[in-house]
Amino acid sequence: MKRLPVIALFFISLLCALFIYVAEDIPVFGDPNSPPIKYVKLFSIDVEALEDHLERSIIPNNLMDEFEKRGFPRPSRVEKVTGMEGEWNAFISKEEMHYSKEEKYYWIKKKGNKLGVYRYAFVVRWIEKGQQETGTPNMVTYGLADYRGYDTLGETAVIFTAGISVILLLRRRGKL
Amino acid sequence: MKGKGAERSIIVETVSRVMIPFIQLFSLYVIIHGASGPGGGFQGGVVLGASFILYGVVFDITSGRKRLPESVNTVLSSLGLYIFAGLGLLCIILSSGVAQYLNYGFLPFTTHFEENRALSIELVEIGIGITVMAIMVSIFFDLAWKEEKRKKEGNKD
Repeated sequence: MKRLPVIALFFISLLCALFIYVAEDIPVFGDPNSPPIKYVKLFSIDVEALEDHLERSIIPNNLMDEFEKRGFPRPSRVEKVTGMEGEWNAFISKEEMHYSKEEKYYWIKKKGNKLGVYRYAFVVRWIEKGQQETGTPNMVTYGLADYRGYDTLGETAVIFTAGISVILLLRRRGKL
Repeated sequence: MKGKGAERSIIVETVSRVMIPFIQLFSLYVIIHGASGPGGGFQGGVVLGASFILYGVVFDITSGRKRLPESVNTVLSSLGLYIFAGLGLLCIILSSGVAQYLNYGFLPFTTHFEENRALSIELVEIGIGITVMAIMVSIFFDLAWKEEKRKKEGNKD
């Protein structure tokens, strides 16, 4: 019995199992509150009277130490999420990298006796600030042409290359 | 379809003669409407290219080529990419090195940063549309032309 087909079959079935596992893990399509689209969990700490501080828009010192210890950017101010009990948004100010203005960055949520700290995914910022930043109402278009301009330039170059290749291979009539 | 060339159908010719201007108008609508609704450069360019391809399929290949000559086609296929890449380079030049490549806000179309970005998005979409249209038409006519040539040589023998 040849060894190579057996190894290949093993790897292919491994890949199939991986795909099935990943497909099981995909969130409900189009749900804007599903975890991978909205936030990434960073850590959680005990509540211990931090809630009162957050309620008065003050960032508690041990929360700040926790951010510092784990190497995350320090928040500059905290604001209550409108209409939600036990949820806060933390903003980071302009000295941080990659952001020229104040940005909504952390999401702090009280869950039982613990205070979970999450980081907002980029998609949240894309949806909330895109129209105001680019002046275009279509979310897909400002993503395609502005935020991901390099990507679109590459795609257009790929199409151009395909056309030029066909010209080089098939057009042999003496003139271009 | 045997004999010399394909048989020409009056119905198909008449219908496509009526439809092609509307297809082209629709494609321009799709490109321009890309900023505020569904659509964009890729989709509109493909529809615009398909209108030329329809002309080439229904009528003769040579008369289809006369509508969009080879020289114009070659110029157009690179013009769209030049619009896109040149607009990105213009951002660096006009802001004298402050802006990054493809940071459209620094182009001096209007006085507002966001308005500049919106206008540049439209221009970029038009550039993408031109390139996609020209490349689609170019690929189709290159393939079809060769097929026709081979058929003629086969008939001669």
